[in-house]
Amino acid sequence: MEDMKESHGSGEEGGSGHGSGNNGLGGGLRGGSNGGGGPGGVGPGGNLHYTIPGILHFLQHEWSRFEMDRSQWDVEKAELQARIAFLQGERKGQENLKNDLVRRIKMLEYALKQERAKYAKLKYGSEGVAHLDDGSKALGDDEELPPVDGDNYIAVSNVNWRQGRQLLRQYLQEIGYTDTIIDVRSNRVRSLLGLNDANNVNEENRANLALNGGESHRTRPDGTGAHHPAHSVRKGVTTLAEEMMLDTEASVLANFDFLSSEAEVDDDDEMNDDIDDGYNPQEMKLKASKLAQAVTEAEDKETEDVMNEFNFLTNTDNVDSIKSAGGGGGGGGGGGQAGGPSSKDVPKGLSGVGFQQTGNGAKTNQLLGGEKQQQQQQQQQQREVELGNNLELGELEQLTIANDNESSYDISAPKEAYRKTWSAKYTLRSHFDGVRALGFHPLEPVLITASEDQTLKLWNLQKTIPAKKSASLDVEPVYTFRAHQGPVLSLAISPAGDYIFSGGLDTTIRCWQMPSPNVDPYDSYDPSTLFTTLTGHEDAVWGLSYHLGRKQLLSCSADGTVKLWSPTAPSASNLVRTFGNATEDGGGATPTSVDWVQDDPTKIVTAYSNGSCVIHDIESGKLVIKLDTKSDSTSAVGSINKVVSHPILPVTITAHEDRHIRFFDNHTGQMTHSMVAHLDAVTSLSLDTNGLYLISGSHDCSVRLWNLESKSCVQEITAHRKKFDESIFDVAFHPSKPFIASAGADALAKVFV
Amino acid sequence: MVTSMTTTTTSSSTTTSSAGVSTANANLTPMDNASAASAAAATGLSTTGSGPSLAPMEPVSAPALHPLRRNCAGTPARDFCAWPLESFDEMDSTLAVQQMIQQSIRAHVEDVEGILRAPDTQDEGVWKYEHLRQFCMELNGLAVLLQSECVPETCTQMTATEQWIFLCAAHKTPKECPAIDYTRHTLDGAACLLNSNKYFPSRVSIKESSVAKLGSVCRRVYRIFSHAYFHHRQIFDDFEAQTCLCRRFTVFVTKYNLMSRDNLIVPMLEQDLEAGESEA
Repeated sequence: MEDMKESHGSGEEGGSGHGSGNNGLGGGLRGGSNGGGGPGGVGPGGNLHYTIPGILHFLQHEWSRFEMDRSQWDVEKAELQARIAFLQGERKGQENLKNDLVRRIKMLEYALKQERAKYAKLKYGSEGVAHLDDGSKALGDDEELPPVDGDNYIAVSNVNWRQGRQLLRQYLQEIGYTDTIIDVRSNRVRSLLGLNDANNVNEENRANLALNGGESHRTRPDGTGAHHPAHSVRKGVTTLAEEMMLDTEASVLANFDFLSSEAEVDDDDEMNDDIDDGYNPQEMKLKASKLAQAVTEAEDKETEDVMNEFNFLTNTDNVDSIKSAGGGGGGGGGGGQAGGPSSKDVPKGLSGVGFQQTGNGAKTNQLLGGEKQQQQQQQQQQREVELGNNLELGELEQLTIANDNESSYDISAPKEAYRKTWSAKYTLRSHFDGVRALGFHPLEPVLITASEDQTLKLWNLQKTIPAKKSASLDVEPVYTFRAHQGPVLSLAISPAGDYIFSGGLDTTIRCWQMPSPNVDPYDSYDPSTLFTTLTGHEDAVWGLSYHLGRKQLLSCSADGTVKLWSPTAPSASNLVRTFGNATEDGGGATPTSVDWVQDDPTKIVTAYSNGSCVIHDIESGKLVIKLDTKSDSTSAVGSINKVVSHPILPVTITAHEDRHIRFFDNHTGQMTHSMVAHLDAVTSLSLDTNGLYLISGSHDCSVRLWNLESKSCVQEITAHRKKFDESIFDVAFHPSKPFIASAGADALAKVFV
Repeated sequence: MVTSMTTTTTSSSTTTSSAGVSTANANLTPMDNASAASAAAATGLSTTGSGPSLAPMEPVSAPALHPLRRNCAGTPARDFCAWPLESFDEMDSTLAVQQMIQQSIRAHVEDVEGILRAPDTQDEGVWKYEHLRQFCMELNGLAVLLQSECVPETCTQMTATEQWIFLCAAHKTPKECPAIDYTRHTLDGAACLLNSNKYFPSRVSIKESSVAKLGSVCRRVYRIFSHAYFHHRQIFDDFEAQTCLCRRFTVFVTKYNLMSRDNLIVPMLEQDLEAGESEA
């Protein structure tokens, strides 16, 4: 047995001698021979007959066996190294992908934040206004920042991308695995994007296992024979580790994160340099990586918190806390390290000092790290230049394109966020005379206009013709409604989008079925589009309002009455009820506008030409309350042109001929607010679905957007020209899309976005 | 080892990702502030901008000087547009021509010559254009009447006399539309053409090349008159009695030479026309 041992040992010596060119080979071989029980099994059999040729034969046999084993190990090692490089390349790619996705998340968060800010502004508009005074001085400086930052942002991300791609290319070249990697990578991309490929994942796991198996083989000799110099082994490991370090460094560098460099790279470097002899660097590395893991976990949690809060401003605090967490982790790791190697012949103090150095000298390390990063960056840039675009990597080229798209997205995103003002987008020209009323389809980007040229037209805002040399788009109507024999004055659209009601100077109310927005404008005439005509009024119909739940239509006419209709009922029972003129003092007044009280569908609010405004109960037909329109200090309250009910609050808003907009409490009838809103008569009002904004149109040619919270004008748009003394007849908010529209006496309708 | 290895990999990737987050944040934060601030500035500016414009509110002096020509909500049909006439020179609107034409039609619908008499300084292209707009608009009234009687079953083709079948030009390839569809399509097509931003971007001045388009519009819409006259005489007569539209149209196209005499096939107007000419 002792002989055997010796020969065994000599064989190994020879083996290591042969393999001296290959670092780490001896370690692998030795590990394998120690691990395998082969020699032990052969030994007892050979003891029985000792003959020189037999021994020689045995030795030769053993020699060749070891040689074969060795070559096998060689091959295996090469494979594993290739595998490592492959996986590292893959990891790199995934990191890039992840960074990219994180960036997208950030963009989305940013957009969401902007949306929230917008929402908050809508809700607490007064605060926003209050901030203005404080912030207005600093604005000059701040305003210049965003584009600069945007540029930086894009530049950084591009650098990341390019570096990542260069690294990837390098790896791919080195390995020669190009095609498979590209495949795997694209698969990976797909799986990450949700098209999960189970096989692919399994493969990856297997690869991980293989890698880890190899790793454990290597560590064993270190664990058992720590007193051996085992330089070759360590070198093998360090090359691996160095590769990893390079990798991490590169990623670190890509992200310019000094924290991780402090935790991983510099720690490792320091240890390699300072504690070189007699110390087991791999354990150190493992510890270090654990430490890094701990740090990153802490970091991860922090970032998760940040993500959850969507609070970008706390980020600086967060970085600080990460710093301290990193420091703490370093300390802990140092403690663990000091305990670990104590059984070996390693001076405790040294390792302790080393760790303390790294722990305390975090800042110097930062600086060092920074320098290293710069060097690395330079190197990589050189590489970039060298490599150029010689490599033909189809998939990667595509990545570049995707990246370009993204940068354009980056640019456009802030613009979206800035957009607080409405601007004219569509000009709807096809009417021959003033557009009296308009309304949006509840869901589609579809508008219906009613004009004094006796027609109504339906416009599909998605069917546009690009207009020459102007930002606004022209739209042509897709359907023309003809039935009124005279100007069309009023319009109501069912909130379900199925019916359109129009009232005309010819005293009729026409009920139309909503045509498809994609109908051919020159299709043949279908008389059934007009499904019924409500006759009963004796004069012009000036106001309409439809209630979806009740399926009932309100109309008010210059004949002094307000009528309630069930337009979808059999024609005999269309007319449900007629309300006479209920104002005690206003015998001669005519109703001008009518609306449902939104928070109580049994009540309606009617405005009169003498300035009165009353709320009726439609069941009993009785007057519920008379809004106190006469309380305004200004001498005579002008005729009311339009009345609207707030969608949520018990508030009624009236537009007056005397340039005022007035607000009333539906319960008390008290006027809550009165304001001079325009330079001329206010003709029209429209509230957005949430009741946060009000738009008003006036014969002064302007549309104004009001913040209802602060009752302040947010925007003024000059929209239409005058014809005689009329300008804007109607305005409307789209119920579900960011559109507003105005209708003018100049025969145009305009849509703003 | 296995677990530690894998976690190391993932943790290092999370390191980079979290680093990515922080860099992204760092980049976004100032932008975010600035955008909010600038947005606030925008609203602030518009608020303050609108404030002063409201503040020096002039007393309502305008109505005192001249009566408001305005149809307020609730105006009875008989009072609709029933405001005192305004002289063309006093009209300062860009739509003065249309105002003038509509005003004179409302005043004396039967005074065809008077309606068509252009003010001295008026550009003839715009005058013709605005008149044609008015014709097309009023033809909507005739189309509404025709819709009740002119059905595809009885009028399968657009015809006047037996001489011609008119093909509808609204389609990519001219089509033999039923008369009512022809009527609607022609009016819709005319509305689109006369409101086209390409040919008629302005209602104040019109290119000579665009004025040339008016002739074809006239020819097409005249067929609506002729069809009504030959196939729906009752409707035509009622409508004509109310509006004198066909007479005005005939005088119009003759005066401005927009259609050849041969095409004016509604005969009853010939004598009137000749009488008018001999008088003049």
